[in-house]
Amino acid sequence: MDPSEVEFLAEKETVKIIPNFSLDKIYLIGGDLGPFNPGLPVDVPVWLALNLKQRQKCRIVPPEWMDVEKLEEMRELERKENTFTPVPSPYYMELTKLLLNHASDNIPKADEIRTLVKDIWDTRIAKLRLSADSFISQQEAHATLDNLTLMEINTIRTFLLDSLNCMYKLRSNLQPGSSKGKFADY
Amino acid sequence: MFISDIRKEFYEVVANQRVALLVSSDIDALCACKILQALFHCDQVQYTLVPVTGWQDLGTAFLEHKEQFRYFVLINCGANVDLLEMLQPDDDSIFFICDTHRPVDVVNVYNDTQIKLLIKQDDDLGVPSYDDIFRDEEDEGDDSGNESDGGSEPSGKRRRFDEGAVERRIERQRERREWEARRREILFDYEQYEYHGTSAAMMFFELAWVLTKDTKDMLWWAIIGLTDQWVHDKITHMKYVTDIATMQRHVSRHNHRNEDEENSLSIDCMRISFEYDLRLTLYQHWTLYESICNSCYTSCSFKLWTLNGQKKLQEFLADMGLPLKQVRQKFNSMDMTIKENLRDVIEESSNKYGMKDIRIQTFGVHFGFKNRFLASDMVHATAALLESTEKDESDSDNFIKALDSLSRSNLDRLHSGIELAKKKLIAIQQTVASCICTNLILSQGPFLYCYLMEGTPDVKLFSKPMALTLLCKYLLKAFVHSTRNKRCKLLPLIMAAPKDVEKGTVIVVGIPPESETSDKKNFFGRAFEKASESTSSRTLHDNFDTSIIELKTEDRSKFLDALITLLS
Repeated sequence: MDPSEVEFLAEKETVKIIPNFSLDKIYLIGGDLGPFNPGLPVDVPVWLALNLKQRQKCRIVPPEWMDVEKLEEMRELERKENTFTPVPSPYYMELTKLLLNHASDNIPKADEIRTLVKDIWDTRIAKLRLSADSFISQQEAHATLDNLTLMEINTIRTFLLDSLNCMYKLRSNLQPGSSKGKFADY
Repeated sequence: MFISDIRKEFYEVVANQRVALLVSSDIDALCACKILQALFHCDQVQYTLVPVTGWQDLGTAFLEHKEQFRYFVLINCGANVDLLEMLQPDDDSIFFICDTHRPVDVVNVYNDTQIKLLIKQDDDLGVPSYDDIFRDEEDEGDDSGNESDGGSEPSGKRRRFDEGAVERRIERQRERREWEARRREILFDYEQYEYHGTSAAMMFFELAWVLTKDTKDMLWWAIIGLTDQWVHDKITHMKYVTDIATMQRHVSRHNHRNEDEENSLSIDCMRISFEYDLRLTLYQHWTLYESICNSCYTSCSFKLWTLNGQKKLQEFLADMGLPLKQVRQKFNSMDMTIKENLRDVIEESSNKYGMKDIRIQTFGVHFGFKNRFLASDMVHATAALLESTEKDESDSDNFIKALDSLSRSNLDRLHSGIELAKKKLIAIQQTVASCICTNLILSQGPFLYCYLMEGTPDVKLFSKPMALTLLCKYLLKAFVHSTRNKRCKLLPLIMAAPKDVEKGTVIVVGIPPESETSDKKNFFGRAFEKASESTSSRTLHDNFDTSIIELKTEDRSKFLDALITLLS
């Protein structure tokens, strides 16, 4: 999967906006949106929010988790634990990037938020790499992967699957005709 | 006719239609175009952008597009000529003209249906009143009515009536002749001098403000449009200061909106600030020494083409305590201690050397950690890109490149523009120095004249109108500073440079005399037209500025002679 595809899926998340125009409820295939009244907050998917923001028709309200103190706590928690901690939003990385690139004037302390989210991401990716490394080198049978987001899984997917495939082929070739499922040492 | 409510009568009319944008090739027009494009993008208005460089271009563009478009927006072109006569449009074509060229042609002002002028009516236009210029043809009807009445009377009284009627007719004809003479005089006075009005970019920014869709980007473009008028000496200093005050109100409104929250804004957001900065062109992107040598103001005040001038410059630098090594370094690498008080130090020292206005009110922008630009830097960079003389680049390519360099996301194009601008400024200074030292400026009686020979270095740069006008102005300032002849200081300057070697043409530019309180009104437009008619020289009055024409090289001398006789 391409990272841009993951970002595309992330754009389906909802975010609150404050429009400056009025429009009746609109009925789209994915669901109903609106009605839009100037000054009243409304929930819309991110793709619509960004389009309206670029056309200067709304103001984006940052999601609740996009706050300096909350992110600092999450970062500390992530650094302490060995496993993956619950994540603020299943698409936190993509949402941060999209919202901070297009609407940084509506988000207070945007630079610090960017740094904090990057720190959380780095910690999680480091844990993921460590876990994948030990999984392959010690030929473990299973690993705990809860609380991983699609973007993080995506970074490791091709590598992990290819290397596990390779190892399976190597193992099955060492003993031609032998029964499957027997792990030989090498 | 003049538009009073720009939102209702212009924007809402074109918002649901397809529009053709015909944009002239100067920086103010480019900025106005960017603002309008941003507004169109917000509301998803379909438009076609056509860059035009002269009247012929405008005519061709109009012919190409008149089938598909009803609404045409002309930016910085079209107001000073009878547009309907020139283009012969259909009755349903509507033209919205936002032009800084004055005087506005009277037909454009008084046409109610097809021509809409996006110009403020109080912009000191001095348009003659309708009755002074246009007269209905009713009077002829009265005459013949009287005669027919007189005809039905008995013959005895007829002669008396006839005499009365004849007298009245003669009276009316005399009155008509007087009216026509007065009309010619009024029109002559009105159209004699060419000058510039409020920047087109500022007009469109006001439109954006009225629609409450104004952003900092648009404000910055409006500021660049205004600064372009100042850099290329199109408006008076008073007008510049007044317009700066208007822009300053907008800037503080935008800044106030953002610094309101106690949380600071991201560093990537654009911050515009009012600066009372030095008049040294491009000094923050160059070395301080180069900037002082190549800025018109300092170079003319020191007379840097003489040895004495060079010595004075060294004294000046020593007086300020700036070591030569620092001053010859790139500005960004200069010592922080020197950079901190630089403006005040330079201002103090320049007062001693007779440069009272080394500082000028302007605006600067700053976004990201690295990017700081003054409005005049952007004007020079974009002008250099617009008139770049690289081979294989058509005018529309240059236009698009210059337009792109105004967006914040195309910084490397902007930096390449700054490099080109540096080369252009160095070329201008060297040409000025050589012209003054070799006495190439000749006094022809009512004006000064200078001709750039074909072999002059960088003469290709000066085949473009804006670059040649800039050279012309610098040369005149330098001449005024260097000559001792008091009479010559008050003369205007005409400059000619080779334009197209194959076709054998030169480009001729005329600028008004240099003075502190000059009102920048240029009479050369009409003078050139008359001179060319009287000598039947082969000239092309294609540029939107009537004081810039193209002339065949062979006709140069007789054209000049005609001008001398005309203006003495």
